Amino acid sequence: MKNLFRIARWEFITRFRSRSFLFNTFVSPLLFTAVITLPIFFFNYTPEVSTKLVGVIDLSGKNLAKDLQKQLNRYYRLDNQSREYVVLKVSVDNSMPYNEALSEYKEAVAYKDSVTAVFNQIKRQRSEYYKNTKIPNRDYFLKTSYEKLQTSREEKELAEIELSHYKASLDSLYKREAQKMADSLLISDVLNAYLLFPDDFTRRGHLEYHSKNPGDLRETERFEKILQTIIIEKRMLEDRVARPKIKRWLSSISIQKYQLMPQGQTEWNFYAQFYGPLIGVFLLFMAIFTSGGYLFSSVLLEKSNRVIEILLSYASSRQLMGGKILGLGFLGLVQVLTWIFITALFAASDIIPVDKINYLSLANAFYFLLYFSLGFLFYGAIFITVGSISSNEYDAQQINQLLRTVAIFPVLLSLVVLAEPNAPFIQALSYIPFLTPSFMIMRIPLSSVPLTMDIYITVGIMIISIIAVILLAGRTFRVATLMQGKRASFSEVLQWIRVK
Amino acid sequence: MSLLLQVNQIYKEFLGVTAVNNLTFSVHGGETFGLLGPNGAGKTTAMRMIMNIIAPDQGTVLLNDEARAKIPNHRFGYLPEERGLYPGANVLEMLTYFGTLNNLSKRKAEVEAIRFLDRLGMVDFTDRKINQLSKGMQQKIQFVAAFLHDPDVLILDEPFSGLDPINQIVLREILEEYKKKNKILIISTHQMEQAEKLCDHICLINQGKVILEGNLNTLKRKNRENAYLLSSDEDLSFLKDFSELTILEEGNNTYKFALNDSKLSVSGILKKVEAQANIRKFEMMEPSLHDIFIQKVQEENGGQA
Ligand SMILES: Nc1ncnc2c1ncn2[C@@H]1O[C@H](COP(=O)(O)OP(=O)(O)OP(=O)(O)O)[C@@H](O)[C@H]1O
Ligand SMILES: [Mg+2]
Repeated sequence: MKNLFRIARWEFITRFRSRSFLFNTFVSPLLFTAVITLPIFFFNYTPEVSTKLVGVIDLSGKNLAKDLQKQLNRYYRLDNQSREYVVLKVSVDNSMPYNEALSEYKEAVAYKDSVTAVFNQIKRQRSEYYKNTKIPNRDYFLKTSYEKLQTSREEKELAEIELSHYKASLDSLYKREAQKMADSLLISDVLNAYLLFPDDFTRRGHLEYHSKNPGDLRETERFEKILQTIIIEKRMLEDRVARPKIKRWLSSISIQKYQLMPQGQTEWNFYAQFYGPLIGVFLLFMAIFTSGGYLFSSVLLEKSNRVIEILLSYASSRQLMGGKILGLGFLGLVQVLTWIFITALFAASDIIPVDKINYLSLANAFYFLLYFSLGFLFYGAIFITVGSISSNEYDAQQINQLLRTVAIFPVLLSLVVLAEPNAPFIQALSYIPFLTPSFMIMRIPLSSVPLTMDIYITVGIMIISIIAVILLAGRTFRVATLMQGKRASFSEVLQWIRVK
Repeated sequence: MSLLLQVNQIYKEFLGVTAVNNLTFSVHGGETFGLLGPNGAGKTTAMRMIMNIIAPDQGTVLLNDEARAKIPNHRFGYLPEERGLYPGANVLEMLTYFGTLNNLSKRKAEVEAIRFLDRLGMVDFTDRKINQLSKGMQQKIQFVAAFLHDPDVLILDEPFSGLDPINQIVLREILEEYKKKNKILIISTHQMEQAEKLCDHICLINQGKVILEGNLNTLKRKNRENAYLLSSDEDLSFLKDFSELTILEEGNNTYKFALNDSKLSVSGILKKVEAQANIRKFEMMEPSLHDIFIQKVQEENGGQA
């Protein structure tokens, strides 16, 4: 019995000190986690770090900027509750050409106003002449004032036409100058984007969105949604719908996402919910195949360099096998506990928001250890059998590869598991001992009902399978390890199993 | 109390092939026992059964009348035929590990390991990795692993293969010393001179069966075959025409022959030879283990054919 612990200690220490253990414990989980979570950061977080400035060029004269700002404030806020978008009217006050055109336009307006005033005065006089029949020279006055009226009307109409020309050229100048301004603000990253509303915006509902990356669907979708309500409101106003009515009709909806959990309702965070279990499966896989792989290579090495014979002359094959399983299983536990410890450390230092990710619980840490132990014992015994039967490393590595592929297979179904962790076929698959640990480690955090029954069943299945494979391993180990040179045929393997 | 290892009628079969067939012998403390035989004779299999690495299908192995399976492994030491160690392991750490597997304390194992390494001129290599050593050095490490824990029964499967002549002598010295402690030493080897120098008792097996067993000196005396050796600087081929003798071996003007009738005296023959050539060397042959081996094995195989 003492030798079992000595062997365990030797296996543990020689592997613990190896570089590959360090790599498998720290580097590869880190790489995997990084690769899997980086896109989330890019996709979800970076753009929201600060307030965004959105420019507005409004040719419709409907003061859309104000409405836009109001609506944006209502829907989008940063974590610290300050507004996410700030709407900025693009100003052309500093543009020389615009200011010149503006003063010309103002002159034209003044001229039109004066002409209109003259015209109106003549009209008023004439209506007096009509009413008051007692005025001397009435006919003469009526006649001359009619001529005056004609000329002043002509002047007035001309002035109006001229003014509309000015207005049109001023508008297009405004548009041009404002856009020039907005573009430069966009280039210098002052603005994140700007919106250009044409004068017929409320009628046609068409506008322009300018930004460095107009492919950013999330932003455009937001503006589309908000402007839709704004434009509807405007149209209703035009149709003289009463404001209170509009308010009632357009009152907005909002969706808050919840997932049903046994402990009550908790906010559902897609990424955390999905990637967490995925990282979990990966770690489980790493742990089982790191220590299981050591078990495998240790048997293979001792067999190929014949140290096995020295060891068997000192210790029984049972002690040798038991010692290896114990020592390397303990190594795996150390690895798993290291990860649990690191996670706890992250949680304590608020790098991982534990309170938001409810599967980071002690119970699940326990299940992780449980399924690791079961998986390790199961695969470990198979590895011992394979390692002792195979005559060369190449054959053995191929079987090893096959087993790895089988064990990681549940990850391919992770999306299905995410959608329906308790689908009958997923449940059935998790009763297959090769797949049990991987499937259960995904299902437990994802399932909305407690899986107590399934946990009992799978643990039962695993224990029975482990006993079976360990008996098999024990039988082949002693006989097969002394064989060498040739590959064992299937009938020989059967014979070894029968040999006492 | 003196040691006695008894091997009684052990039998082992591998998938229909009989490897060891009712092998029986016994070895006393202080005795060196040589297990000899051609390739595939069953030596390694027999040793593995004595080491309890594999169990015999039939028969028993007893040490002082106690069944082998009940005896703790650390009373036995073994050098397997196939040499191999952990390539990446540190020499001293690995020897200490092996020592502790044989019930030595860590401290004691370390001390003993260093003592033996020093003896074999390898004390400078204690902190090396195994794969940084030459094959012969690795073999020496394996010796240390076999007798580090001072076992009562030491079994060495072909200990001399791969060692240079000087190290062969060093090893023999260590083994002689071990023998003096009245312990049991069993070796197998294909190098008959080494067996002759080291063994008191031999057992020649072929195809799993004993064909010759006993004290080496007795065996030699029994197998003395009236053989003589004659050599000259001149041609001696005319010896072939002599009817009273049979040529056993010839080569380079040296002839080994036996008289056909043991009552005949050699002097007559010598006179006849002297008449035709100068005799450089003449001696009466004591049979070597080598000769006995070849003769017996050929007899055995010839008889079967
Ligand atoms: N593990 C094994 N499985 C099957 N057959 C075996 C096994 N070990 C030995 N044998 C067979 O048993 C016979 C005896 O082998 P053994 O190794 O004992 O011979 P040996 O006397 O040590 O030969 P050598 O001088 O070549 O080392 C051989 O025919 C061999 O093929
Ligand atoms: Mg052999």
